[in-house]
Amino acid sequence: MARKPLVLGIDAGGTMTDTFVVDENGDFTVGKAATTPHDESVGFLESAADAMSYWDGDGRSLYPELEVALYSGTTMVNTLITRRGRKVGLITTKGFEDDVLMGRGMQSWTGYSYSDRIHAVTHVHPSALVDRRHVHGVTERVDVFGEAVIPLYEHEVEAAAEELLADGVEAIVVHFLYSYLNPEHEQRARAILAAAIARSRRGGDVPVYLGSDLRPVIRENSRLNAALIEAYAVAPVRTQLEKVERAVQSRGYRYPLQTVLAYGGLCNIRYPRLHETLISGPVGGVMGAKHLSALTGIDNIIVTDLGGTSFDIGTITAGYVPVEPEPVLARFKLNLPTIAMENIGAGAGSYVKVDPVTKKVQIGPESAGSTPGPVSFGKGGTTVTITDCDLVLGYLNPDYFLGGKQKLDKELALRALKEQVTEQIGVDVYAGAEAIVRMMEREARDAIRAVASARGLDTTQYTLFGYGGAGPLHLAGYTEGLDFGGVLTFHFAAAFSAFGCTTADYQHRYARSVHLGLPPGCDAPAKLAVAEAVSRVWSEMEEAARAEMANEIAVAREIRFTQLAMVRYGGQLSDLEAVSPAPRLRTAADVDRLIAAWEDLYSKINSRVARYEGAGYQIFELGLLASVEKVKPRIVRQPLGPAEPARAAHKGTRNMYWKGRWQPASLWEMEMLRPGNRIAGPAIVEHPATTLVVPDGKCVEVDEWNFFWLR
Amino acid sequence: MASYPKDVIRDLIDGKLPWQTTKPIMSDFKDERRFEIYLEILQERVPWKERILLPVGEHLYIVEKGAARIVKCDCGHEFGPYTENWKLEALVYVRDDERSLDEIYPGARKCDPGWMELREYYCPGCKAQLEVEAVTPGYPVVFDFVPDLEGFYRDWLKKPL
Repeated sequence: MARKPLVLGIDAGGTMTDTFVVDENGDFTVGKAATTPHDESVGFLESAADAMSYWDGDGRSLYPELEVALYSGTTMVNTLITRRGRKVGLITTKGFEDDVLMGRGMQSWTGYSYSDRIHAVTHVHPSALVDRRHVHGVTERVDVFGEAVIPLYEHEVEAAAEELLADGVEAIVVHFLYSYLNPEHEQRARAILAAAIARSRRGGDVPVYLGSDLRPVIRENSRLNAALIEAYAVAPVRTQLEKVERAVQSRGYRYPLQTVLAYGGLCNIRYPRLHETLISGPVGGVMGAKHLSALTGIDNIIVTDLGGTSFDIGTITAGYVPVEPEPVLARFKLNLPTIAMENIGAGAGSYVKVDPVTKKVQIGPESAGSTPGPVSFGKGGTTVTITDCDLVLGYLNPDYFLGGKQKLDKELALRALKEQVTEQIGVDVYAGAEAIVRMMEREARDAIRAVASARGLDTTQYTLFGYGGAGPLHLAGYTEGLDFGGVLTFHFAAAFSAFGCTTADYQHRYARSVHLGLPPGCDAPAKLAVAEAVSRVWSEMEEAARAEMANEIAVAREIRFTQLAMVRYGGQLSDLEAVSPAPRLRTAADVDRLIAAWEDLYSKINSRVARYEGAGYQIFELGLLASVEKVKPRIVRQPLGPAEPARAAHKGTRNMYWKGRWQPASLWEMEMLRPGNRIAGPAIVEHPATTLVVPDGKCVEVDEWNFFWLR
Repeated sequence: MASYPKDVIRDLIDGKLPWQTTKPIMSDFKDERRFEIYLEILQERVPWKERILLPVGEHLYIVEKGAARIVKCDCGHEFGPYTENWKLEALVYVRDDERSLDEIYPGARKCDPGWMELREYYCPGCKAQLEVEAVTPGYPVVFDFVPDLEGFYRDWLKKPL
């Protein structure tokens, strides 16, 4: 019987668009195609067609059978980076008009390479998303307690509205100080703007965004950035997503297109705070790892994603995924809870260059992208990349890259490598290529070490997941010398992020700043007051979630709520998000239970001795996760077979260069390996979308889940 | 290795290059022929024939004049050997009282002339402002820059001077 496809996951990265078609049993096929930034639906369709071409082969269209199609892409980030968004007007508290120009100091260097960060001459503030002439200050003031100390001067709002509309702005953002505590002035301004917009000859086509609506959370500049980005960059993204949606629906897909949120969940592309999908790329991998963690019981994980342009690292501790509350995106700091990931600009497509004066070899941070790509693609790329080195060293099969769709020209790579690098520094071309690859791997290894020590993790208690198109290829290299509990990769490594997206639930996340304190030894009435305040905010959020999700999800399904509290010890500067054991806090004991749950997590992450009950507790933010369950791939446990792989899986041998000498590596087809199989290095295990290198002295074992352990 | 057309270097000198283009040039390794092209462009712009060895300011160059190496303004005025401070041969205007400082930094923005004075140096030939020093009163005239010309040409450019 033909397999029924369930989920289509798409991850449009900077270089490649990965697609993942999954059936009910968790069997899947992977597709890859070059990302097409001008119209992402082109690259997506090609990638999906690739994935579907491996499906059963009866040639039928799979779109009508899909339950979920979900997409995450780079359009919004590109719109931001290239400043091709809408013409936005801003109405803000008088005296704070220049905030858009000043921004945060760190925005002048964030995202730079290390050498640029220490050379202040390259520091420059990102250009503002809104023209300073379209910023209007109006008299009003809400104080730090949420009291209106100066009323809103409505005639000033009216004058600003007239002027902005006359200037032809396409969207208006209203951002007042402390509006997260008291949104009345912003709401009044919206009413005035609505009237002005209705009066203007442009009719109702100018949307208005309120800071207090989008992100009622402390920190003025980050809240402003979030609102500006929503107003500035979301429209073109919606257009792209609608194009993709039309493309899938015209081929028979029956539901709305879904996209991925920065904190790991899905939403419909009509979600009102679509800027929350800005950072969804690397997030997919962490969600996938979390899913596998729940499945296999491995609950301490370090995930590493080596793609074409970057190396991303994330962690999962005791099943907990750390959230970064204020990430930087396109050099703007914004209030957008995001799965915490670190990354360095080193990937398989990273350029390799030699400093003409010092002869020092440098890798990245720039990379080739899909066009022109590495030199060996023969598409006009002239600068040597890591992929070219991998090819020269025999790790990559020139006739089986992307399943043979992209032929690799070894001679071209060899010549460029000699001319640009090894002759410059006077070394043998193969020794040089290996040194470069090892150097990239060392950078990745150092980054893993840095993350582990910054987060205080004992790596022996963790399993490392290595994925991304180039992950398995360099896995042995970048984990060498690191003491992990285990090193694991997957036959779907190349599409692991897309796979991760398919494991997520529909989810919305709500957050609101509060200011609640539990001083040391406080009494029951004080706790009860906190309980009431917390419960009230949670109820309001649940109401909002019900209203929003009802519009979004056609099928009436049960919404599952998870109540969150961001707690810290008194006087600390950062908080940790705890899941409340009860849906509401009704008694002083409920408050104690919430604090106990938080403290338990705190000690798991920071060690038990870091507890400091004597400081009391503070709650600065409350949150709510509203999820609706979605069908997911079911990865099946299989009985272990013999250690000897099937004869048909053996494809021959190829010489590979490792640690300074050529050695014959046995060659295997990854898709034909079965649970229980064990292959000793030197070996190369090939998959149409990825290559696993097993060096001499190491071996790879396939476990009951069909995962690959490098030992 | 990076290399840029002459037009790009010309725009770079004139500050006309957009930031998106300038930043990668700044962050990348120095292109091999930059100095050569840079000098070519400067040489094309001056009305005199002496070979420029090194620019030392917005209007000033160290040039080869016969056997001597002298500092020369783009207007053609010659200051003398580069190993001596050209400022000693320039016109100077010192702002060392409230009134003159106020012309530049009005009101509370100005410095206390008891602590700091501004010395403006002008070319005697074309009267272009060449340099401004902000120093404590009585501080010797600052000698900005005595380059190691021989070392620079020999070790870095690997060319005869």
